[in-house]
Amino acid sequence: MAYVATRGGERAIAQSERLFREAMGQIDMTRVAELKAALPYLVDRVMGEASLYDEDLAALALAQTGGELYEAVLVLRAWRTTQPRLGVGAVVEQGTLFTHRRISAAFKDIPGGQVLGPTLDYSHRVLETDVLAGKPFAPPLVDPATAPAPAYQPSVSAWQAANDLVDLPLSDKVAGEAIADVTREPLLFPSKRAHTLQSLARAETGSVLALGYAAMRGYGQAHPTVNELRLAEAEVMVKHPNGTAFSAGRVKVSQAEVVSKQGEKLGLGFAATFGWNEVKCISAATLDLNAKGAPKGSATEEEFFLYHTEGVEASGFCIHFKLPHYVTFQSSLDAMRDAKAKQVKEPAE
Amino acid sequence: MSLANLTKPWAPMSYGFLDASAKRELRRKMIKAVCVPGCQMPYASREVPMARGWGTGGLQVSLTLINPAMRVKVIDQGADDSVNAASIRRFLARVSGAPTTLDTLDADLIQSRHRIPEEILREDQVLVLQVPNPEPLRSVQPNMSIARQMHGDADYGRMWLQLYEQIVRSGRVMQGASYPSMVNGRHVMTPSPIPRWDVPKLHMARHLTILSAGREKRIFAVPPYTRVEPLVFDDVPYRVEDHGGLTCYRSGATGFFMNEIPQGDGTSTYEVSDSEYGVKAIRARDGEVVAMGETWYKDGKMPQ
Amino acid sequence: MLTTPTADAAERSANATFDALLWALSRPGLPRQLPQAGEPALIAALVDRECHVYAGDPLLIPVVTQCGAKLVDLPQADHAFLGGLTEPELLRQLRCGSDLYPDDGATVVIRARFGTGAQVRLTGPGVNGAVDVQIGGLPDGFWARRAEMIRYPMGFDMLLLDAAQVIGLPRSTKVEVL
Repeated sequence: MAYVATRGGERAIAQSERLFREAMGQIDMTRVAELKAALPYLVDRVMGEASLYDEDLAALALAQTGGELYEAVLVLRAWRTTQPRLGVGAVVEQGTLFTHRRISAAFKDIPGGQVLGPTLDYSHRVLETDVLAGKPFAPPLVDPATAPAPAYQPSVSAWQAANDLVDLPLSDKVAGEAIADVTREPLLFPSKRAHTLQSLARAETGSVLALGYAAMRGYGQAHPTVNELRLAEAEVMVKHPNGTAFSAGRVKVSQAEVVSKQGEKLGLGFAATFGWNEVKCISAATLDLNAKGAPKGSATEEEFFLYHTEGVEASGFCIHFKLPHYVTFQSSLDAMRDAKAKQVKEPAE
Repeated sequence: MSLANLTKPWAPMSYGFLDASAKRELRRKMIKAVCVPGCQMPYASREVPMARGWGTGGLQVSLTLINPAMRVKVIDQGADDSVNAASIRRFLARVSGAPTTLDTLDADLIQSRHRIPEEILREDQVLVLQVPNPEPLRSVQPNMSIARQMHGDADYGRMWLQLYEQIVRSGRVMQGASYPSMVNGRHVMTPSPIPRWDVPKLHMARHLTILSAGREKRIFAVPPYTRVEPLVFDDVPYRVEDHGGLTCYRSGATGFFMNEIPQGDGTSTYEVSDSEYGVKAIRARDGEVVAMGETWYKDGKMPQ
Repeated sequence: MLTTPTADAAERSANATFDALLWALSRPGLPRQLPQAGEPALIAALVDRECHVYAGDPLLIPVVTQCGAKLVDLPQADHAFLGGLTEPELLRQLRCGSDLYPDDGATVVIRARFGTGAQVRLTGPGVNGAVDVQIGGLPDGFWARRAEMIRYPMGFDMLLLDAAQVIGLPRSTKVEVL
């Protein structure tokens, strides 16, 4: 008799993977293109959490994993990590963002105006069930504005700083290769500013929302006011080794500033990410706003929220509990049984 | 400087999956880990094509060390055929062309989750242990910044207190696997969730052990001939699992760490946890000539 | 399905070099054969644009810059290739890390000659009991200076090179001059 079906494990895992993939069917260019066109916000979310801006690869990751979001992000990150770093893009400032949507809750109107842009905020969330009855849903076309909003807008915090309402963070002079990269070095605490913002940018949306929401509900010190929320496109300027600067294209980005009264000034929290993802940016900026002086071990302490919003690590650890643990379990059983036997032998006085 | 200097011909995948810069970072950190035994060294821990918590730390070490001549063994909970061991072994072979083996004696590199093989490892072998939680102080201090300070100060009072409280309450230390151990008289480390049975195998061993936690981004090591002493009180000796007298129902082997298999009638039967050792014991019993290595435990006891 | 990649010359050299370094640092005092003599193979295996490097021998400077590493003064260096050492006081400038981050201590590569010179006895992790080894080509006062600098776990880790042979001397090794 064989001790174990030695190759059983290998056959079993091969077949279980086939079961999963068979259900997805064949994946081709058409499917990838369709996903990219139909689900841009989901593609954005995957790109943001994977820290890799490539809509085709993100759509492929979604296709390959059947939309199992944690898997999609992991497969894209695992691809990203093997790619060489050829250069560092130039700094993108808020005023140079090609802005599609920029709103502020802090003022009725702001320099540059409230630009609503694309949003479901004021839509009635009604399911278009007619589609299922064979009647396609054709969205009405947008009426072009007679006076389009300017494409470039200053940040609201810049106006507040000019009016001595907020102290802007000192301009970070670190540039190029010297910028700390959280994908190339470990996150340590107190966290470098670049690491904090990068970690929030690639954090898992749901986790950031959960902890940000906790802070908003009262587990944080500061109640956020959305100073500005912006959906935009950023020009990626890189330098050829021969010295010529050129644009490598535009990437969709979102960013949020939130403020709250801190003494006689406003405290400022900030977050930005690849793709358009408003909930994540507002939540992340709220955590950033609350981090200063947060008690150790609280949900708004940097170490707590940066570790626990890391989606790839969190989801991986969660599913690892499916792995067999019978050795550790056996070891615990042994200690428990021995302690129990001791109690029988030596009853408590 | 031109783009050609910065890059190299395109290939779908680097040898051993990790790119050269990831490997160099791991090499630098492995050096530090070996030079300060038991001290957790932070590293970037790149993503690999496996989920975090599934051996990604051990995998990154293996992928850095691997070469086409290196014979690799992968075990999970003692078994080579466990599904995740099979998956990691297949991946290592696929990205490196390295030959694989199930036999501990044949292996150059052994990546393991939660067990150390029963046969004594030689000085030319490297053991890579997967680590879910690298911080032995986590149960007394979940905050990593504070725990790091405690290691810096060699402040292990709370760890000792926890063990003492267990003895007062339960008459013994209740720690199952992952028994906290003092390395080189300076750093307390977790030996990873190996059973207590396996911890003495690390003490003054001939082989190098590298422990790597991918999700938590920490790497540490036990070089050969290094003191690894479980934290115990002078009057309450260290106790391994009471498995020395158990016999494997399949192979007849006695005196090794066992898996307990519950039976329908309420009793239990046992099988050797080190699956390939069990296979060899069966083949030897059936009359085959099998090379059995010398084992750490003799007659169910670890020689002092 | 992707095919198995093959190791190019750079990968093979880096892999074999590191294998020797890891072995040497795991067994302080026991010489180990490197695939190639000299520092360049070590630099290629360990150093890149994430590193701050001191090169004591000007001939190593182009090798270091080719890897993209930043050339710095000794106190800033995470990797110090001292070449042949004549001045033991240089050791005073080496980075030793902190109690919190001992890994910030430098990795130091120094040329030496094995089998001649001072007889030293090594003990500590990696050494089975004690090992006696003769190491020459180092300046007077070298061992005393090293001992002064290392406040374990703070300290630096040394690789001594004699052509294609390497001896590892982690900070954990105690050295007694006989």
